[in-house]
Amino acid sequence: MNHDKDIEELFLAQKPHFDDSAEFMEKLTKRLDAVEFVKQYQERTLRRYRIVMVAAFVMGIICGGISIVWLQTSPFDMSFIDIQAPTAFLLWFARNSRVLVSVCLSALMIICTAAFVNNILDIMDMRARMSRLQ
Amino acid sequence: MNREDFITQVEREQEAVRGFLLALCCGNKDEADDLAQDTFVKAYLSCAGYYDKGKFRSWLFKIAHNTFLSHKRSLKPTIIIDEIPIEALPKRESGEGASLDLYLTLATLPPKERSSITLFYLNGYSIKEIAAITDTSQDAVKQQLSRGREKLRAALKNYEL
Repeated sequence: MNHDKDIEELFLAQKPHFDDSAEFMEKLTKRLDAVEFVKQYQERTLRRYRIVMVAAFVMGIICGGISIVWLQTSPFDMSFIDIQAPTAFLLWFARNSRVLVSVCLSALMIICTAAFVNNILDIMDMRARMSRLQ
Repeated sequence: MNREDFITQVEREQEAVRGFLLALCCGNKDEADDLAQDTFVKAYLSCAGYYDKGKFRSWLFKIAHNTFLSHKRSLKPTIIIDEIPIEALPKRESGEGASLDLYLTLATLPPKERSSITLFYLNGYSIKEIAAITDTSQDAVKQQLSRGREKLRAALKNYEL
């Protein structure tokens, strides 16, 4: 590939020089600090949510299991809902109302536990950040 | 690569990357410096996966080139001041010793040709290296260089008239 002398000279004559390198690096360091802060915050949040999910899962299984056992072993030999309709679906619904109520209860407990644990972790995180600022 | 190593390397290479971006931005220093900052932040975020020791500068140029192209794409077509016609360039006045403005001349080239020409003449890269930096084939780089060179020669000729 042939080099064109005139073009080479054009580039050579106007080779850029920067006398604000220190300011540029200072600005870059500040941006890297900000990036690092966001990165660490994201990692912390992710770790926290993982813990919350595991805790909610375990608590949900325990609470759900206990409520199912309690509902199934309770002395009442009758369904929670008494539907006097001849529809097959409604009859099935009435027959399995205990199980359905247990499942709904367990789901509710999982959601409640997740919200509860999340709030506690949020408060702890906030406290830690505030104490660092002081 | 840890943060200290990264900053040390960037301190060494920042002028070259800024010069390259300044040429791509046709002398717009603020725009070039913003893109250089973005380039280094992107490089910092992916430096954990950088293993190709000894080619740090080329790696930075590759990120800078991609950052420049995506920046150009994100701009509205109405505000892109690209590829100005050669006839619009200023002509040499009699007795004046100053040369033709490099950045104004580079503005006559489309972004990809501008990249290849800048990497070749300003940074001294070979065609093979330019192909690796711009993620194109060597034939495409040769074509871009040839077209770019022709336009630059025409601009120089127009200036001398």
